[in-house]
Amino acid sequence: MMNRLVEPTTGRVILDGDDVTAVNADQLRRRIGYVIQQVGLFPHMSIGQNIGMVPAMLGWDRKRITARVDELLHLVGMEPSQYRDRYPRQLSGGQQQRVGVARALAADPPVMLMDEPFGAIDPITRERLQDEFLEVQRQVAKTICFVTHDLTEAVKLGDRIAIFRPGGRLAQYDTPDEILTHPADDFVAEFVGGGTAVRRLSLLDLARLQLDDVVVSTGREPAGNYPVLAVDDDERPQRWLHVAECSEPPPLVTIPLSGTVYDAVDAMLNARAPLVLVVDDDGHSRGALRWDALVGDLRARGAGA
Amino acid sequence: MGDIVDYLSTNSANVQFYAQSHFLLVLYAELIATVIAVVLALVLHTNNLTPPSWSKRIRAGTQETALLVSSALLTVPSLALFGLLQPTLGLGITPAIVGLTLYGIYPVLRNTVAGLSSVDPAVLEAARGIGMGPVRRMVRIQMPLAWPVVLSGIRVSVLIMISIAAVAAIISDLGFGKPLLDGLARLGGAGSFAQVVVGTLGPLVIAAGYEIAFLIVKRLTTPREIRV
Repeated sequence: MMNRLVEPTTGRVILDGDDVTAVNADQLRRRIGYVIQQVGLFPHMSIGQNIGMVPAMLGWDRKRITARVDELLHLVGMEPSQYRDRYPRQLSGGQQQRVGVARALAADPPVMLMDEPFGAIDPITRERLQDEFLEVQRQVAKTICFVTHDLTEAVKLGDRIAIFRPGGRLAQYDTPDEILTHPADDFVAEFVGGGTAVRRLSLLDLARLQLDDVVVSTGREPAGNYPVLAVDDDERPQRWLHVAECSEPPPLVTIPLSGTVYDAVDAMLNARAPLVLVVDDDGHSRGALRWDALVGDLRARGAGA
Repeated sequence: MGDIVDYLSTNSANVQFYAQSHFLLVLYAELIATVIAVVLALVLHTNNLTPPSWSKRIRAGTQETALLVSSALLTVPSLALFGLLQPTLGLGITPAIVGLTLYGIYPVLRNTVAGLSSVDPAVLEAARGIGMGPVRRMVRIQMPLAWPVVLSGIRVSVLIMISIAAVAAIISDLGFGKPLLDGLARLGGAGSFAQVVVGTLGPLVIAAGYEIAFLIVKRLTTPREIRV
């Protein structure tokens, strides 16, 4: 309805201040990148021609189109020289959908509309595409309307989620966190289902948490309850020297700061460690996350503490 | 065998004329039939001919009706059709081409309709979704994808025409039908058998020529990736 493949019967869709029914439908669609589940690449055209279709319609010159095609192939992680002249049938499903996304991005539309783009792709590839999608989104920063039936996908990718109940009525429109913690009604609660607490973990970035301080060993005996860490000459963590409540120091597990609490819990369970060390890109300690704190009260950085 | 060689050597100018006229009759009639059939198929496929207020059944029905009528035309005996065209169109090249055209429409129409509807709806939706208008969609996407099927329809149509063009000689004196009918009329006479053989084998040569032409056209006009 947003790009008028289905005409609205009542109500209005406002895009960029204009009622979508008031502008030419084809012009409108060229301003909205469109990705569908079945991809729908043009089988008789090369990958390059597929991606360059909208720019060609907009009257770009050939050089600019070629440059744009290469840029987009890079963006979606496909080597232009290798894929530009191939045909859709020679690609796997996941690759085809990447090209589909590239085609939708071709004319740099301000808005994207993605209709279950990863629905028909196997779970492993889907997860990889989702990660790539987040990476692409970080680079292009567009308003994306993403339709999915998979709540995990919605929670992972969305900044805001609109849940529709049967009959097309809006049940709740909120941030993923709010949807998981405060479902608006029984329908949303049932849709969200169980395991919300675990799902929320993947929404919590370690970088946003107030981590426990760690004492770096200077040879002295531990002070207070702080865990004590042995480091090498480059200040890289080696092992725990002393951890309160543990008679034997537990194995050292590190997690990059860019991870989520979900990753941290996963690492703790795998290593049977009651705490993980969070490290930055250089491998230096940024603090520890303790199991007790997870079960207790996690504090966001700057708040509370 | 000697008879035939004799006939060919004494009548080489005539035989060349038969071949040329046979070839051109089919060519002209096929061009006209293709234009009619493709235009008809486009109109029926996009269905702008019948008003949307008509019930869906009638709208779908118009396509079936067109196919039915054009296929019914194929069942009319060719001898009869040329005879029936004679009072209105007289003798000569016009009724010959008109008659052949009528026979040629059905295979092209049928294959064009089939080809257009065989295009993956997802591809068409994607084309619409990225802002391609109806004309551009047809020209850039749907027709190219349907083209191999359309082309094979044209090929079948040409083969039908080549055989029917022999009958067209009764009203036009053109093509290999001429020696065939002459020979049959005086069968047993001197050289009559050679005439019949030339009239029978001539269209075969024409057909072979067209087949080669089709192979080349197919190579040149079908995108590599959708060749069937």
